Amino acid sequence: MMVARGMKRKLYGSDNGGGSVWESQLQSVLDISLDKFQRDQALVEPSLLRSVLITNTLRQVQSVVKTHLSGVSFHPKLHTQPKKQPELLSTLGSIPAGHSASLCSLGVEDMEDDLMAWPSEEDLSLATAITGILNDLDAALDDDCGLSVPQRLPLASMENLPGDGRSKQNSTISHKTDGCRASILGNSSHMSNYLQEAVIDDLLLDIDTNVFEAEANSVSPCAFSFPADQLVKYLPPFSNSSAVSLTPASPPMVR
Amino acid sequence: FAGGGVGGGNDFQWCFSQVKGAIDEDVAEADIISTVEFNYSGELLATGDKGGRVVIFQREQESKNRPLSRGEYNVYSTFQSHEPEFDYLKSLEIEEKINKIRWLPQQNAAHFLLSTNDKTIKLWKISERDKRAEGYNLKDEDGRLRDPFRITTLRVPVLMPMDLMVEASPRRIFANAHTYHINSISVNSDHETYLSADDLRINLWHLEITDRSFNIVDIKPANMEELTEVITAAECHPHQCNVFVYSSSKGTIRLCDMRAAALCDRHSKFFEEPEDPSSRSFFSEIISSISDVKFSHSGRYMMTRDYLSVKVWDLNMENRPVETYQVHEYLRSKLCSLYENDCIFDKFECCWNGSDSAIMTGSYNNFFRMFDRNTRRDITLEASRENSKPRAMLKPRKVCTGGKRKKDEISVDSLDFNKKILHTAWHPKENVIAVAATNNLYIFQDKIN
Repeated sequence: MMVARGMKRKLYGSDNGGGSVWESQLQSVLDISLDKFQRDQALVEPSLLRSVLITNTLRQVQSVVKTHLSGVSFHPKLHTQPKKQPELLSTLGSIPAGHSASLCSLGVEDMEDDLMAWPSEEDLSLATAITGILNDLDAALDDDCGLSVPQRLPLASMENLPGDGRSKQNSTISHKTDGCRASILGNSSHMSNYLQEAVIDDLLLDIDTNVFEAEANSVSPCAFSFPADQLVKYLPPFSNSSAVSLTPASPPMVR
Repeated sequence: FAGGGVGGGNDFQWCFSQVKGAIDEDVAEADIISTVEFNYSGELLATGDKGGRVVIFQREQESKNRPLSRGEYNVYSTFQSHEPEFDYLKSLEIEEKINKIRWLPQQNAAHFLLSTNDKTIKLWKISERDKRAEGYNLKDEDGRLRDPFRITTLRVPVLMPMDLMVEASPRRIFANAHTYHINSISVNSDHETYLSADDLRINLWHLEITDRSFNIVDIKPANMEELTEVITAAECHPHQCNVFVYSSSKGTIRLCDMRAAALCDRHSKFFEEPEDPSSRSFFSEIISSISDVKFSHSGRYMMTRDYLSVKVWDLNMENRPVETYQVHEYLRSKLCSLYENDCIFDKFECCWNGSDSAIMTGSYNNFFRMFDRNTRRDITLEASRENSKPRAMLKPRKVCTGGKRKKDEISVDSLDFNKKILHTAWHPKENVIAVAATNNLYIFQDKIN
């Protein structure tokens, strides 16, 4: 396990999944999955099996990161629980400087800012982009689809689009999250589909780790706020019904 | 059928028999073999390739005149089964690659097989013609029409022998029933129906009826966003014509009984092994995806292939397999790289021997593995041109997983992941195996045989 010079190794590394090795794999999996996802998107007819497996992997990464971050949930009362912070931080902070997209090396204040400063209206969640693509794929392939599913808006799974008869069960907005998010969605829904797709492409490009490395190198090791900020912005609310399928003993396939 | 085990002692001694295909390094994409299948007697061996062609080999009768031929397979028929198509409505090109070939049981002198690409299944009749009628009244021997007014006598045409001609003709075309890509076809034991499966649906056909099929499984969710699992393979039970199974991308197998309901969305049995929490990783789901499912000849067991292992299931026990065989466990630590280079999505097939005592599956570096179910021994062999001297015995191969590499061992990092053996077939009655290595077909025989 890699430890930055001068820092003591903490005992709690294994509790949080192996520390930097695990995190580096998490990042690799995320990068590779996004790359494949993008490439498949460019294909006229990507393999459905492949798309589903890659999407499920992305959802898994998302779930893991979300769980990880929620374990560091910050409230104004956080100062009353001083023990937890140093443990997590020291584990996370053991990533040497320059580590690409070190999504976990955060200062307390920065983390708080990141979580609270929710994304601008241009940012779209990963899961909705994914589900939007799956939907487009289906629309392209299935000619017996009774409902005409034209260009389904990538955000559609996060909001109840009025007049969209299929979205009744799609209110996947996590009501636990702060109100900032709702306003973002409201703005985004007015964007044209083309723009949304263009924005998705830009955003996915932004996840390129080169960006992170450039930023990480320019920032001191103790305040890796930029990379985490970028990553966190792309995390959707963890409330999609697809979350059910992440459990090993999955129920019979949904009709 | 002589028993015989897999490695050591009273075991198989696999020898090189033949190799078919071009030798040059540059492999044309169209020549890549995509399916291999023996017919019910083992007399015929069919291969399909990415170019949409089917090549059928026939086993020579062993004769005293050619004692060394030892039942060699020679080309019997070659035909273009599928052509590339363009779906104008969706602006999609439909690949001509043959995904699967399945033989029908032989009922007369002709042979029938089903071949399928992503969208269309075809029934082909392969028949021999070794006689020709001569002495027609209305035309000359060279085919020119005779002037009817010149004909003064009538004669009865006679059948004369001619050089053997093998003709392949498409007898049925089963089209437009699959929105998604067909991954499996399976002939039912009633010899009248067959099933075809794509990513989300399974259809039941009657061999005589092409304009409609019956959908028996549909797992397409109303909302595609909820799709997290697809069908990866399906097969009919070898004896019970009402039973079939299908496997999924999540490592589960569902057994369905067509007597229970018209739509078999609800399974009769659900086979799934509980996950081992200690080996969980980001790739757990991908490597659990089942790439092939095959019933044993007895019909009592079924075998599934996932990325790293082969599992044998007793149809009476749903909660775990009765046997698990590790194919290339040394790849477990390389999953991230294999995910990156897409190898993790490779779909390996598996097969039983005639007596269900052994199973075989492929791996990388042109290695293939055999497992003896009785002795629990296993062996790794290689299909390569270097080992292709006639009747040369194959030497067991070994992959070095760590530490010092012994002589003749190969280290994991030296494996060639472009040389993958995805398709193998075992003769239904004898110890003869066919192994497809990219564009070459290797045939190996047991020396004792």
